[in-house]
Amino acid sequence: MNNPGNIEIKRKIAVAGLPNTGKTLIFNGLTGDYNLVANCPFTTINIKNMPFSIDGDNDIEQYELIDTPGIFRFNTYSRSEMVTRDLLLFDSPDMIIQCIDAAQLKQSLSLTIDLLDLNIPLIICLNAIDETVRKGIVINSQRLSAILKVPVVESVATTGQGLDELKNAIRATFINYNKSLTTAPRNHYESSRTSAAPVSHHDLSRISTTLGNHNDLSRISTTLGNHNDSSRVSTTHRSHHDLSRTSAETMTHHNSSNVSSLSHIHTDYEDGISAIYSLFPENLSHKRVWAFLLMMNDPFVLSGLERLYPKEEIEPVISKAESIRKHFKGNIGLEINKKRNRWIDDVVEKVVRRQKLELEDFSQKVAGICRHPFWGVPVLFAIVYVMFLLVVHVANNIAAWMESHLWVPVEELVVSFLPTGFWHDFLIGDYGVLSLGVANAVITVLPILSVFFIMFNTLEDIGYIPNLTVLTRRLFQKVGLSGASVMPLVLGFGCKTMATMTTKSLQSPREKFIAIYLIAFAIPCAAQMGLNMSILGRMGTTAFLIVFSVLFVVEVTAGLLLNLLLEKEDQCLFIQELPRIRMPEPKAVLVKTWYKLYWFLKESLPVFIYAALALFTLDRVGVLDASKIFLSPVIEGFLGLPLEMVDALILCMARHEAAAGLIMNLIAARKLDFVQCIVAVTITTMFIPCFANIMAMIHELKFKSALGMAIIINVSSFLIAGLLNWVLLKIFV
Amino acid sequence: MNKKREREEYLEVLWRIKEDGIEDPDYLKNAFGSDFEPTIIEDLEQAGHILTGDNGSIVTLTDAGYEYARKIIRAHRIAEKLICDALGGDFESGACEFEHILNTDLVDSICVLLGHPRRCPHGKPIPQGDCCKTAARTVQSPVMPLTELESGMSGRVAFINYSDDMQIYKMDTLKIKPGGMIKLLQKSPSFVVSCEGGDVALDDAVASNILLWKEGGQFNAGGENMLGPGKCRRKRGFGFMRRKSA
Ligand SMILES: Nc1nc2c(ncn2[C@@H]2O[C@H](COP(=O)(O)OP(=O)(O)OP(=O)(O)O)[C@@H](O)[C@H]2O)c(=O)[nH]1
Ligand SMILES: [Mg+2]
Ligand SMILES: [Zn+2]
Ligand SMILES: [Zn+2]
Repeated sequence: MNNPGNIEIKRKIAVAGLPNTGKTLIFNGLTGDYNLVANCPFTTINIKNMPFSIDGDNDIEQYELIDTPGIFRFNTYSRSEMVTRDLLLFDSPDMIIQCIDAAQLKQSLSLTIDLLDLNIPLIICLNAIDETVRKGIVINSQRLSAILKVPVVESVATTGQGLDELKNAIRATFINYNKSLTTAPRNHYESSRTSAAPVSHHDLSRISTTLGNHNDLSRISTTLGNHNDSSRVSTTHRSHHDLSRTSAETMTHHNSSNVSSLSHIHTDYEDGISAIYSLFPENLSHKRVWAFLLMMNDPFVLSGLERLYPKEEIEPVISKAESIRKHFKGNIGLEINKKRNRWIDDVVEKVVRRQKLELEDFSQKVAGICRHPFWGVPVLFAIVYVMFLLVVHVANNIAAWMESHLWVPVEELVVSFLPTGFWHDFLIGDYGVLSLGVANAVITVLPILSVFFIMFNTLEDIGYIPNLTVLTRRLFQKVGLSGASVMPLVLGFGCKTMATMTTKSLQSPREKFIAIYLIAFAIPCAAQMGLNMSILGRMGTTAFLIVFSVLFVVEVTAGLLLNLLLEKEDQCLFIQELPRIRMPEPKAVLVKTWYKLYWFLKESLPVFIYAALALFTLDRVGVLDASKIFLSPVIEGFLGLPLEMVDALILCMARHEAAAGLIMNLIAARKLDFVQCIVAVTITTMFIPCFANIMAMIHELKFKSALGMAIIINVSSFLIAGLLNWVLLKIFV
Repeated sequence: MNKKREREEYLEVLWRIKEDGIEDPDYLKNAFGSDFEPTIIEDLEQAGHILTGDNGSIVTLTDAGYEYARKIIRAHRIAEKLICDALGGDFESGACEFEHILNTDLVDSICVLLGHPRRCPHGKPIPQGDCCKTAARTVQSPVMPLTELESGMSGRVAFINYSDDMQIYKMDTLKIKPGGMIKLLQKSPSFVVSCEGGDVALDDAVASNILLWKEGGQFNAGGENMLGPGKCRRKRGFGFMRRKSA
């Protein structure tokens, strides 16, 4: 079927699964690409497609792999999970790999049920088995495969173990699927299900015999190596339906003993699903999933269906679903959950063996200390202080060494050819493309970022940062943030743009607004934090403490104010899953640091150069000096800063990191004293969020509110910096 | 079937019609199908529990009827809660018997025992009794909120009081659910529990609405904590109820 040379549409394979289960690592492993990995839920927020190939016996198969944001279940209230659901429902991939964290099998199986309903070939990737082994948990993956009737591949994504088996499983599954296609039309399963859906009562016996059937079991267990078993895949696509019935059946059975005469009222949701099923337009795919979502009264299901059909066409289905929901005895959602949970408990009981002896859990201990109401705080301060020391003593020295060994020779070389004049200034003058552009980025900023990122990425891989939500929740609650918005704010310390995008999952517009504002305002992102440490380190630890206390107070005050100003609404509750604390993998940390630096250079080096060019031009034309004179009352008078800081603020608009180099130069030239340095760092941290962050703000809010927010942030950052200058002068002078 | 019982069944359906906002005028009739007895409607009207329309088909509850139905519903749902949670049996069969037997005092003491549950196992609200308003705790309750568990201890979830479906779905995805085991790792500054291999942070409001079986509690039929493999915990009995209803 795959003729090399022929142009064919690459088959798409989506990697889906719960958040933080290793999807991106699997994606990276298969494609050789790098997408950001962190020990934190919802690291991936956008879909990413990448081609990849599998070497066969005599050909190379080309596919396209899709990395997706985490999803818990189809019926969701979270917009970030919607991204994945929409991908699966609307752009149906040709295959789904569900990545499951083996230590949390139960949580993942709810999604498995949903995925099986899609009738898209499914492979289960039982990931992180290194951790279950350490915990004394043994999962019988062959048994699991036999029960689910889909291939199950064990893997350790961090080491790449299991990737080859995964590739084999992909090939085998496609081969089997294509074989079954030659005997049946594409929508074979859909149509057979339509007719089968209303009949329900003999499925139970079928499943129970299947589960006990050892032929079946042994056949599945050999499946992974056996590419020619065509019968298997076709059973795959019926499997879940039967399974859900097993549990449904027990319920119906119980209900039938009910003396109540209200027997015609639906007590079995399967009846409801088949009733809705038959009303759908003929050509709708994934009918069962849509029916299920309608039954659950999913908040996004209507807009989803309206994307496919005009309102009139789906009207009857919707009213049918409504009436079923209304006449259902009890809460359909709870009933479905309960049935699913019974099935899941059953499956897990069959496949999981646990050592009775609880092993000493190192990770729990570390997590306990990090989240401890008392010890948690000193631990946090110690971590920040160590980072500060490393940046000041290691990074600054590396930067100094690079300056003298790499930059000075270049400078001398240029001077020897061009002692003065236009080209001298153009290259290495105050606003030279080499000095302010290239050297600023590569020699001043890069070493600091490398050291800081190594430490920060280590923390990220340990999973420390999300665990901070436990410590900080009360504080955030005071400033009007409850529940889901705590995590995005904490993530703001990593990357403000990403954090702004994760607010997608917040339902409350009020909380979303506050969270986006606070992220954009006084929280320094990882790069800014590293550079701030480096700058302030030149002035001593006190300066560092002052700046961060000020930023902290500013942030809390802003939160309190917003909380007062915005209309109150019900607080949503705080239920936050926390990643397991893991030992950091040095190689993974280094690779991630390398990519982050690479992305930094790729994105910012041109920006640094253009910014230098712009400043150079403005300076030559005379606009720069004119504006400095114009701004001098504010800069010199109000903020007490040297006029050169205007350059820094302009650079700040292009890229926050660019301003840092200038400030360091000013310090070196003794143009900034202790107080001025503190004011300068405070204002550059708060001033204009970076361009990417503004774009993310516009994306998440309406353009107008994003713009308004940016203006308020800028004005208040000037006011606060002026106030700070005034106070500090009182204290220190 | 005795008349009182039948009348109560009708009132129960009428309550549900009101609660769910069902507009179908024939709902009551359909609900009983061929068993529908117009004489019962007449009886109820004579007792002052309902008002009938001109043609006798449109029926509404009077205030007295509403109060009466409320008591029945409360008894039914409290009973469901008791059977489902405390005894782990299949609640449908028993509860329907219960509602006709229980007097207010008995229902209230069961309510206290269960920690004033707010919803029945189906997720329907349980009408409050006097005991709930005073949050009485005189009878020793077999359940306690998660907030009262000691750190480091485990417990089995009896039920979860919740305000909206979303909250219960979210907890379900994390497998915090009735019947599941959770271990409390810490209480402050936030509650952190470990459940099925995952750690979850909760605020106090959520934690106080998760009710756990007390260790060795009288009604804790599923008392064993180790969910050892192969151990069946589904067939917890409430045998006499099942026999009765059969
Ligand atoms: N020990 C171990 N850790 C793993 C394994 N797979 C993934 N991890 C870790 O799990 C964390 C999450 O990995 P990701 O690949 O980012 O997971 P993801 O599913 O893409 O996460 P989101 O994008 O946030 O939904 C990382 O810290 C990985 O190092 C594994 O097989 N073994
Ligand atoms: Mg990811
Ligand atoms: Zn009920
Ligand atoms: Zn009560």
